[in-house]
Amino acid sequence: MSDAGAARRLPAVLLVAALLAYPFVDRWLQAQTVHAVTDAMIYVLLALGLNIVVGYAGMLDLGYAAFFAIGAYTMGLLNSPVLGSPLYGHTWSFWVIIWIAAAVSALLGVVIGAPTLRVRGDYLAIITLAFGEIIPVAIRNLGDITIDIGGWKPIERLNLTGGENGVNPVGRPHLPFVHFETDFIPWYFLILVIGALSLWAMNRMRDSRLGRAWMAIREDETAADCTGVNPIKTKLLAFGLGASFSGFAGSFYAAKLQAITPGAFEFNVSIMLLCMIVLGGMGSLKGVILGGMLITLFDRILLAQLTFLVRALGRSLGVPMLAAVDLTLWRWFFFGLGLVVIMLIRPEGLMGRRVRPPAADVDEREETRALIAAPPRPRADALPAWLRAASAPGARPVGAPPALEVRGLTRRFGGLVAVSDADLVIPAGGIVGLIGPNGAGKTTFFNLVTGLLRPDRGEIRLDGASLVGLRPHAIVARGIARTFQSIRLFQNMSVLDNVLVGEHCRLHASVAGAVFRPPAVMAEEARARARSRDLLAFVGLGDKAAETAKNLAYGDQRRLEIARALATEPRLLLLDEPTAGMNPRETDALTELIGLLRHELGLAVLLIEHHMEVVMGISDRITVLDYGTRIAEGTPAEIRRDPKVIEAYLGKGYEQELVAT
Amino acid sequence: MSAATLLALQDVHAYYGNIRALKGVSLTVGRGEIVTLIGGNGAGKTTTLRTVIGLVRALRGTVTFADQRIDRVPTHRIARLGIAQSPEGRRIFAPMTVRENLELGAFSRADREAIPQDLERVLGLFPRLRDRLAQKGGTLSGGEQQMLAMGRALMAKPDMLLLDEPSMGLSPILVETIFDIIRNINQLGTTILLVEQNARMALRVAHRGYVIQTGRIVLEDAASALLRSDVVRKAYLGEK
Repeated sequence: MSDAGAARRLPAVLLVAALLAYPFVDRWLQAQTVHAVTDAMIYVLLALGLNIVVGYAGMLDLGYAAFFAIGAYTMGLLNSPVLGSPLYGHTWSFWVIIWIAAAVSALLGVVIGAPTLRVRGDYLAIITLAFGEIIPVAIRNLGDITIDIGGWKPIERLNLTGGENGVNPVGRPHLPFVHFETDFIPWYFLILVIGALSLWAMNRMRDSRLGRAWMAIREDETAADCTGVNPIKTKLLAFGLGASFSGFAGSFYAAKLQAITPGAFEFNVSIMLLCMIVLGGMGSLKGVILGGMLITLFDRILLAQLTFLVRALGRSLGVPMLAAVDLTLWRWFFFGLGLVVIMLIRPEGLMGRRVRPPAADVDEREETRALIAAPPRPRADALPAWLRAASAPGARPVGAPPALEVRGLTRRFGGLVAVSDADLVIPAGGIVGLIGPNGAGKTTFFNLVTGLLRPDRGEIRLDGASLVGLRPHAIVARGIARTFQSIRLFQNMSVLDNVLVGEHCRLHASVAGAVFRPPAVMAEEARARARSRDLLAFVGLGDKAAETAKNLAYGDQRRLEIARALATEPRLLLLDEPTAGMNPRETDALTELIGLLRHELGLAVLLIEHHMEVVMGISDRITVLDYGTRIAEGTPAEIRRDPKVIEAYLGKGYEQELVAT
Repeated sequence: MSAATLLALQDVHAYYGNIRALKGVSLTVGRGEIVTLIGGNGAGKTTTLRTVIGLVRALRGTVTFADQRIDRVPTHRIARLGIAQSPEGRRIFAPMTVRENLELGAFSRADREAIPQDLERVLGLFPRLRDRLAQKGGTLSGGEQQMLAMGRALMAKPDMLLLDEPSMGLSPILVETIFDIIRNINQLGTTILLVEQNARMALRVAHRGYVIQTGRIVLEDAASALLRSDVVRKAYLGEK
């Protein structure tokens, strides 16, 4: 171990030493802050759980305190003598119940999450808000249940939750030689261990296949779906795993406080947790810890101390108003003010990642180079070997079905027929151009093939197998990848992570695998990274793997989108205006790349393009859509001369231009 | 500065986010001219337009419109001075009808009685919009949305029209149509500053052109001369 390594570890060692020494120093100083700090750590744990939902997966959850309540009441139900729970009396150990509480919370997270997953943004926030309101109300009303069916009372005066009075007492944890009583030091160390383990797990989840999927969903759900990430499953995992941590926090809270009251889980708790995340920085573990600590300690310690100080000041100055002030009543005022100030100065939060654009001079040099020198030419020998192996051209038997076969495809929007009875066939390894006037239904056609829209009628087959009814991510898994007309990268993720999301559907690591990292998962992850780097090198972005995607130059973003599509190991690639906004040199290089993919990998390509040099130069055959109907199909030479195509799409000027150049 | 100059940028430096996007851009547009600004992605074309209408502030240098300094004037007041913009990516109001979109273009005008007449004038330029007046903006095709964005800008009856990439994503036949319309608008008396990736079409329709590269003007000439220039042919027209 080198000195440099030791120096790097020093801050961590100091932090651990400080955390271990703190309660004893506190006792020595008689500061009596351990109680408040322990509570603060409960809220930090809650905020970290909420951060999975809000910070990682990007879903605004306004009712997270409900899961906190569920954790606490699970502890109460199983471990308090006052509740008439049929489950009580089995002397459940605290150590077992915290896991049960986490599991119950996770389960409810999934149950609550399921119906909300099809709604987005504001609607999701409203539904979670309602859920957050329902749970405390339910708790208040489940303290005295009687079911009376014509005099038959199967359940009479059952007390499930303690109602408004809450639950008191709650059983404590038991360990040999350690007493979880009124001394807070054992509690402090217990939440420290729970918190540290949770943090360890979250940290590993973030840097895994699952973490990348969450962030991809946050950045652009449609693009993630079309890159092979199952949005439903991914979001449910975020809800469930996020909720499970509040199960730990809630059950610990109940045991420590020795009492549970429904008032502790109101809406303002959810909001305070959100404030912690926003203050610290969404998605940043360190930031959330800092935000949570700052807000709770400000509330629990600083405001009380300040009140004391101001009162003393008021007494000595003889100002009665100051002498009687209670600043703790003003806590929401201070929270609000602080949040407004932070949002104005650092909208990304205290520890949030500020995405910096590249230094100006680097940028300039690159642009000049891009303009003067030709952009990197794609080279066949740079094509990753694994991609060759995955596509294995030539393995296809003679007489196999075409790569893509679309028959009678129809889709209406209200009265408008966007695609009407359209046919299209792409032979294996073929390049087909799809052209037509704006609004002719080309992009709708793409969205039908990729599963973003369901056809009203018609058949779509990939290598003979029907795709109709499959969700986009399932279609990606079958072997269709696409790019978008307006580039849709995962903007705030690194270039490498963008490609890794592309590999998502070819990887298998589970949640447990992400957390415990068995050798098989480690090997899979290492292989995935190597493959992604190969792909980036192939498209000419090898030296930009660590850049943030949105900082790339425009042409580079287009190439990254193609690399991400290739990472899904497609057999058919759908490109929606890939050369839009590119300069002529970039256009040439991209055209060459498409040709190379077909030639080397046997990849079939469907291409929407307005650049006629590109589409005429590279396509084997071209299909022309107008008003959703196929008006022509043929070789580029036939299409160029077709009077219907000239009339609807090319224009008379196009012929003149061909003559001119 | 000649009396006929309508818009002048003098040594304009501006940042776009943290990137120094303009590093001393000087250009003039004479009354009645079509001037085009061509250049690659990220060269500073859009930033130049945004500086003119005040969405990006010049750190150094001056912007003058009709002999009046406008580089410290708020955007909504610049619009009233007679500059209208049709932004890149169209930015029409999708849930509103075509008619409502067009009427919004005339929002800041005082002479409200002349608006029906101008609506006629705009519909004369874009006959396809007439059939779609009651339709929602979002249901239009890409080409029609482009027309609507231009028409909305013209409803302000501007002296000067700023066009950002009007041909982007349009089919060849529509590109031709749009450039024909640009020529018509100009012949009806509106001065035009046109930013385009499609350098060939832009230089065919413009009187003069500027080539911008990494925030600096590197070439300026009559459009026909630029079309013949070696640098332009290689870098922007894709000729070998």
